[in-house]
Amino acid sequence: MSVNISIETPNENQIQEIAFDGTETYQPLPTLSESLTKCATRIDFSKSSLDDLKKEDKDGSPVDQFQPSLWPWDSVRNKLRDALTEVCVLSDVLSISREKKYLVLDPIQQEPPENKAMVQVYARKKALSQAASVLLTGAERLKASHVEQKNKTSSNFHIELLRLRQNWRLKKVSNGIIGDLSYRTAGSKFWHNGTFEVTKSEDDVETEEDSSSAPSTPTSTIPPTIKPTSAIKVNVPSELQGVAYIKVITQKDQGDLCTAKINLMGYGRNIAQQSGVWQRVLESAQNVLFCKELFNQLAREAIQLQAPIPHVVIGNQIRANLFPQIQLIISLVHTTSTDTAQTSSSNQDNDSVLEHSLHQLLREVHHKNSDHPFPQPASGPLGPSKKRMLAGPLAADRFELLEMTKSETILEQIIAQAQHTFMRKRTQYVLDTLAKDVRDPQIVSHWNAMNSPTMSCVKINIVTHGYETMHRTALLIHVKDRTLKCIGRDGRVMHLSYEPQELRDLILCQINQHQITSLLSLAKCLAWQVLSNSNHLGIGSVEPLGNASACLLSSPNGDRMIAVQLRSDTSLEARVFIAKSPRQDFFQIPLVPEKIWENLGGHFREVRFDKIEGKSFLMKMEYLMASLTSSSS
Amino acid sequence: MSGIPSTQDLLTQACNNKIIPNQEYLLQGSILDSASDHLFQRLKGLCDNVESGPQLFNDHELCLSLRAPNQAQPLMLRVRRSLEVDAPYQLRYIGQPEFGDRTRPTLVRSSIDVGCTATVIEFLTELGCKIDYEYFSKGYMFRKGRMKITMSKILKVGKGDEALSQSQLVELSVLAPTGQDAIGEEMKAFAEQLKPLVQLEKIDYKRLGSTLP
Amino acid sequence: MGVTILQPYLFQEGKGGITAIEYLTKRLISMGAKQAGSFIVDCETIVSLSSSMPQPPSNKAVHILHNSEFPASTFSILDTGAKHIPLVADNLFDLLMIKIGNVYTQKKQPSIESKGPRFEYGDFLIKLGSVTMNGNFKGILIEFEYRPCIVFLNCWELMRELIQGFLGISISSTYPQFFQQQTLISGHQSLKQNDSFQAIDTINQYLEHFINYRKQTTSIGGSTQITGLPLRS
Repeated sequence: MSVNISIETPNENQIQEIAFDGTETYQPLPTLSESLTKCATRIDFSKSSLDDLKKEDKDGSPVDQFQPSLWPWDSVRNKLRDALTEVCVLSDVLSISREKKYLVLDPIQQEPPENKAMVQVYARKKALSQAASVLLTGAERLKASHVEQKNKTSSNFHIELLRLRQNWRLKKVSNGIIGDLSYRTAGSKFWHNGTFEVTKSEDDVETEEDSSSAPSTPTSTIPPTIKPTSAIKVNVPSELQGVAYIKVITQKDQGDLCTAKINLMGYGRNIAQQSGVWQRVLESAQNVLFCKELFNQLAREAIQLQAPIPHVVIGNQIRANLFPQIQLIISLVHTTSTDTAQTSSSNQDNDSVLEHSLHQLLREVHHKNSDHPFPQPASGPLGPSKKRMLAGPLAADRFELLEMTKSETILEQIIAQAQHTFMRKRTQYVLDTLAKDVRDPQIVSHWNAMNSPTMSCVKINIVTHGYETMHRTALLIHVKDRTLKCIGRDGRVMHLSYEPQELRDLILCQINQHQITSLLSLAKCLAWQVLSNSNHLGIGSVEPLGNASACLLSSPNGDRMIAVQLRSDTSLEARVFIAKSPRQDFFQIPLVPEKIWENLGGHFREVRFDKIEGKSFLMKMEYLMASLTSSSS
Repeated sequence: MSGIPSTQDLLTQACNNKIIPNQEYLLQGSILDSASDHLFQRLKGLCDNVESGPQLFNDHELCLSLRAPNQAQPLMLRVRRSLEVDAPYQLRYIGQPEFGDRTRPTLVRSSIDVGCTATVIEFLTELGCKIDYEYFSKGYMFRKGRMKITMSKILKVGKGDEALSQSQLVELSVLAPTGQDAIGEEMKAFAEQLKPLVQLEKIDYKRLGSTLP
Repeated sequence: MGVTILQPYLFQEGKGGITAIEYLTKRLISMGAKQAGSFIVDCETIVSLSSSMPQPPSNKAVHILHNSEFPASTFSILDTGAKHIPLVADNLFDLLMIKIGNVYTQKKQPSIESKGPRFEYGDFLIKLGSVTMNGNFKGILIEFEYRPCIVFLNCWELMRELIQGFLGISISSTYPQFFQQQTLISGHQSLKQNDSFQAIDTINQYLEHFINYRKQTTSIGGSTQITGLPLRS
């Protein structure tokens, strides 16, 4: 049930005319009356068993002597008339003989046959032995032919033809067999008809060469080196010979970034062993056809598309700009000799994703061409999509209808996919180098395994080693074709362009914020008080990006204070200051007379933070806070 | 201000440009249930491949007529809905069939198909339409290029699945804009390939009606 | 598609319709709205006058409306006097209606339409429509649409604020008449204000106003024929 079999009527009709585009006009089948007439004229009524009788009659009557018959039934009429005359005469004779007046019919005496028993036995014996010998020779011949068939199944033309028929579309046109390797039944609308010719190959190579040089169409003969015993020869049009593939290169300043090649060879079931050489020839020809159609489509789209930087089509090459200085080059490579193809296909590595996508995109176009939804209820018109059928009764608005008419071309889609691939790689690179460079808070990125060709997702966790439970800054990045969308933990959405620096800056800011927030939660654990904190400190020297963040902490009994300033540039430098109260250097002066003012705290002194023990910023801060707390109690 | 043409203008424009498919080319025939499987297999082979296999349908059709006081011929309307899927109702006007002479391969009739909401039945009955008859039509549809082929069983309404006859209705139809008569030949050629299982012909209902009673 | 409220604009008698539209356009643009094309809503009405119909003689009116916002649809509302039956269909319904119209003994009413510019203002869509009947200017209908929401109740206050701010008039916080009616949805009663808003609701509001405009005309003209029955009692 699952296998769809196409049935086509055999083309028994005579071809009347072949148009320039290859369509064949057939002569219509003759109508019943026409064919009957044709048959009637062919019957020779005079060749019946009553031949002699008629001849005698004809000799006597000069009826047939007048001019050749004008209408097809003339001879039939004449013969019928003759027959009628004969029957009339016969009936006259019979009626006369019944009267027994003028004519009497007497039975003729026949001699009784002699009964000779021995002769009969011999005669029967002889007849039986003759019959037996006929049967025996027949059996012998059958056996011989059976053995012969068993011995050379592979070279049998008809069995090969059967196998060919199982894998390819064939049809009989007058005396020849024409095959079809186009993708037309799958929905392709490519102009090339992709036909090949099937002939019986001669056993002798020399004679075959002679015979194949005669036909007018250019044909490919199977190379004699790989010519085992195949009874079938397939002739493929010259433009489909050889090996073709589509090469996709992403190029940056003349340096290749990645390459992809489409080559359908090796796709599908491996049926080459059991089937003959023709299988390989046809597969490669079909591959050439597919690549040609794909390139043709891409080139047409490249010219039609109105891109800000126009796409360039030169010869067998299409150039499209992905990003500034980064180009996508799609080229069609078609070689007719087998050895050069092999060398060129091995020297570059494949990007299976782009290769697969291009392949898939054209298949999708084919599918859309061939697959139309059926109307429900069944009386509806064929053609409009399901969405369009719903648009009227469900009152679709302008916008929805406009969306329906939009469709992306293959080129647009492949450019988007290439851009996405590039963006993904770039994002990966930025994240990886940052994770390598920034040691203190660790940057962990999780790439989603499931992604679409133009969208992937990465989750970034920023944690400090040993303090994972204290605080974790999470960030989600959607990598699209030209942009990045970053979603912070608080739900803030930031859109970034394709420039890698933007992402880098964003991550650095996130690290900065992570340090401060985790410091605050650490301080809470140690019972320190947060006096103030700011993510965007407006004072201090101008930072290259954003503002420094800062916070002010005070010890549990309030006698010590720590001020932290974190810069958000690449160095992620932290400056830490401490102050002590009551201040030691408080002297009563007339302006500030009371003793209580000594609790205000003194001048902040900078700590040489890099000298503090600890692997990370948080560890150092914990050490610092712990030491300051213990000393006061 | 007048940036948007009114819908009426668009419609007349569409009519003039002949882009509205309002002509139905039709051939009909029937096949006995016992032989219908052969036809099904043949259609499956001949028609365009569809991944999901032959499309099943199960529709309910109502035939309504609007009788004008001063006109002899009532206006016939059909409302059809799918019992299988949630799709819009279909309101259909079918004009008088034209047979033409013997050279014309198919029957041609004007047809207006309008998808609409489920309120259509109430709308039409309130407008003065009378329900003449109704039936269920259940079967398969196939597609070959522009041609649609349906083979369906006609079932009575309200009596379970009681069939109207021991045979199935086979229809070959194309909906096309006015003036595309070439499609008729294409249909004729396809109908030829279904012979002798089913004989698809131009069927004249009026003649059927006159011989039966 | 979101919730739509139709608001007639009352302008001073002396001013013409064009100056009023110009004034409103200026106001919208100064608010920061952007013009996005234009729109048209038109309405044709066929009234059956025949008493020879098999049904009890009653004036049945079929209103056929188009809205350029829903270009693929034809809306028709059958007014039997007792109830309104809405029908949303493909554009081709117009062709069919010609056939039905031929059978139906009819009297055509003047066609009426509202058209004008269309503005986008954030999530709002504002349309300034000048209503004309057979080419004669009748008034101004302003359509406010809040696109992200489909339940009237959830966005009424927001819309009221916008309408008040834009037109400089005060609007009572009670719901407009149209949204107070009972509707029957899949067997249970509910109020229009709780239902999800549909395209036909916009059309019904237009029809209500169009019929009012027609009535004004016929009463001024002194015609004895009651042409359009009020849509909602």
